[in-house]
Amino acid sequence: MNSKQNGWIGRNKWILILVTIPVLAVAWWEFRPEKLFLNEKVNEAAPFAASVEPQAIYTGVLEGKAHPTSGRATIYKSPDGKSFLRLSDFVTSNGPDVHVVLLKADEKALGGVAITGELDKVELGSLKGNQGNQNYDLPATTDLNKYKTVAIYCERFHVIFGTSQLEKF
Amino acid sequence: MVRGWKAVLAVAGLAVLGAIPSVTLAQDKMQGDSMKKDSAMQDSMQHEDMGPDKNAKPLLTGTFHGKVHSTSGRATVYQGADGKKILRLTHFKTSNGPDVHVILVAAKDAKDDANFISGNVERIELGKLKGNEGDQNYELPENIDLAKFQTVSIYCERFNANFGAAPLAKF
Repeated sequence: MNSKQNGWIGRNKWILILVTIPVLAVAWWEFRPEKLFLNEKVNEAAPFAASVEPQAIYTGVLEGKAHPTSGRATIYKSPDGKSFLRLSDFVTSNGPDVHVVLLKADEKALGGVAITGELDKVELGSLKGNQGNQNYDLPATTDLNKYKTVAIYCERFHVIFGTSQLEKF
Repeated sequence: MVRGWKAVLAVAGLAVLGAIPSVTLAQDKMQGDSMKKDSAMQDSMQHEDMGPDKNAKPLLTGTFHGKVHSTSGRATVYQGADGKKILRLTHFKTSNGPDVHVILVAAKDAKDDANFISGNVERIELGKLKGNEGDQNYELPENIDLAKFQTVSIYCERFNANFGAAPLAKF
């Protein structure tokens, strides 16, 4: 029985090969397994020339924490090297002694923990208005790799009104 | 024995028939590749055509999420002074795959395992993914309703798989 099978395979091995190769070829075209390991890298230029205007480098959407807050926070870099934060389509609630600050992303206060003691922050100034577009200069030494969370912070009651996690633009 | 041969030949014939569509697929793929080069040239031409278009403004932006096929980066819709809209991917990275396209879907966001066909989600084709890494531009059709098509998806046509999605929000 065994020798008979071997004999059949032996006699028909070319046919088996002819069958197997197209099947493997079909499977390869369907699944293209090599693509799991090969990368195709591109690097197109922006559809516009780098301009003399400030360029957005980080941006994020504002979300409410203690008070409803919405809009967008974007950090722009001017050609002269200065950076500023711009709030656009911005709405938050009014309050006493409200400031715009930058926090570390892992700041405990962002978890809703009541703020006790000194907050590790970069101060950008008093909130200019609780609605509308507004700009805040960043200190030249600001490390945006560390402090990439914008927070609307009420100093008087140590409450965070809203935050935005910035991501690269 | 003769019957055995016939059976084997029949199987081989079927396998070859099965291979024909994939051979045409392969040709599609090669055309696609050459189209990629064309579009790359077009892009560089566009770059010249649009010139120093300082008025191209970001309208919408969002970041990719995708865990099944790790996808990250940013998708931004720009509008030029001539009114043309362009989708630009930056800091972009996804896994490579067969027949991967960039599409817009009529949804606020897409789950990582979203199935747009069974979910009957309306889609707009923007073209084959030019590369699985790096900055790249895709022209948007005129009159596109961006209030309806709010999410960019990196979509594998062959397996109907959403590699990653970026919900767009006003810039």
